[in-house]
Amino acid sequence: MITIDRLCYNSKLRYVNAGEKFAFSVLSLCACVLSRSVTVSCFVLIFMGILSVWKGGIPFSCYLRYLTVPLVFLLLSSFAIVINISHTPLDLFAVELGSIYLTGSRDSLMYALNLILTALASVSCLYFLSFHTPMPDILNVLRKLHCPKLILELMLLIYRFIFVLFEVSHAIRVSQNSRLGNRDYRTSMKSFSAMASALFIRAMKKSDALYDAMESRCYNGDIRVLNENFPPRKAEILWIVIFEIILYGLVVIEKF
Amino acid sequence: MTKKQKHRILLTAILVLTLGVVQNVNAMHIMEGYLPGGFCIAWGVICLPFLWMGFRSIRKSLNENRRVLPLLAMAGAFIFVISSLKIPSVTGSCSHMTGTGLGALLFGPGAVSILGLIVLLFQAILLAHGGLTTLGANVFSMAVAGPFVSYGVYRLCQKGGVNKRLAVFLAAALGDLFTYCVTAFQLAAAHHADVSIGGAFAKFLAVFAPTQIPLAVIEGILTVLIIAALETYAKPELRAAGFIKEER
Repeated sequence: MITIDRLCYNSKLRYVNAGEKFAFSVLSLCACVLSRSVTVSCFVLIFMGILSVWKGGIPFSCYLRYLTVPLVFLLLSSFAIVINISHTPLDLFAVELGSIYLTGSRDSLMYALNLILTALASVSCLYFLSFHTPMPDILNVLRKLHCPKLILELMLLIYRFIFVLFEVSHAIRVSQNSRLGNRDYRTSMKSFSAMASALFIRAMKKSDALYDAMESRCYNGDIRVLNENFPPRKAEILWIVIFEIILYGLVVIEKF
Repeated sequence: MTKKQKHRILLTAILVLTLGVVQNVNAMHIMEGYLPGGFCIAWGVICLPFLWMGFRSIRKSLNENRRVLPLLAMAGAFIFVISSLKIPSVTGSCSHMTGTGLGALLFGPGAVSILGLIVLLFQAILLAHGGLTTLGANVFSMAVAGPFVSYGVYRLCQKGGVNKRLAVFLAAALGDLFTYCVTAFQLAAAHHADVSIGGAFAKFLAVFAPTQIPLAVIEGILTVLIIAALETYAKPELRAAGFIKEER
């Protein structure tokens, strides 16, 4: 259903303290975004990749496939950055179209490549968080960071409901397919909207039933769940601190 | 082959490759790390008043009736699921709805801003669409600007006595288009290497237009079909969500 969710429950780093993982990936992410330099990006990209695959036990092919998820966006927007329309040809390439040129400069190409690298490195930081930390643990971290209770409660419920609704939509999809519901474009539009409206009705009914169920179990305004607690280990914290010091040292060297 | 011909072939190859690999057309989430730090913070700050408004409105309706909480959560999950399901598309690539236009019509733009924040966070973490640092920018374009435009257009059409289906279509499609324009602007403001912001804006609009304009039209049609189906089958639920309330 949601591959990342399955991966993070099977990750070898799942039982590492969530706060550590959160701090590690967010700090590295900030370093990438702040520095926007090739060295820092390469360093982070390689290190996060090694950590996720080797320490975390994420299959390498799977990791590579996920790194290509943002590729379309990156390619299209780099395209927009590199290619210019002007009356004078620039230094990298120029294609004549009547009186104007479709052209690009060396600087903008370097800029775009740097941007792609930074984005990939940042995405690998994000993946380190999402591949090894189940959502309830992330919510716990957010609770410790004093995120408003209402939002946390909504997040917890939404997270649960996503799977309920996915299951319903999957069942509907299967039965529509088995009845030739996606035979051509017209029917598939009709099927999709029928599914969406059925999904909406189901969602409303289920939310009603859920409220009744919660109220009959003495729901009085907040949801308490038992948290599994994994205390942080000194060695891990030490490694994270060392890594971040090296990383931010690199950032400072690159910037000045 | 002359040099010119070579260039043309190269250009066509690049065009075909970039447009051809578009297997997975998302509603333009700005990727993680794509905006410089200053812009990330700025867009986040711009979102804050809207989020605060949404938070207040949700808390108010919760104080009146606690039953709204699971309803809102279901609404959020509904938006998430709708936006991650493949919709039928003309080109054969798989594309997704934003779903926030539909959400804004059903639940109101205030609630959708908070739900959109949560949904975008989940999309970043669970589906790798969007990111943590670009959350502010994405929230502004998808959970604030789009829904408010959708809702505004729908209200205006209602006042002007426009056919209801047309109103829903316009609301969803224009909301989607506006989201796309805002995202292009966000990208242009951050990255204009050789040209002015205006030129970069035009370039980003042009590059994403082939995927986004058909998407907006499809999303409009789908929203009309969904609302029509809901009005046939789910009057009481729509009333509970607040969609038909104002007509009574």
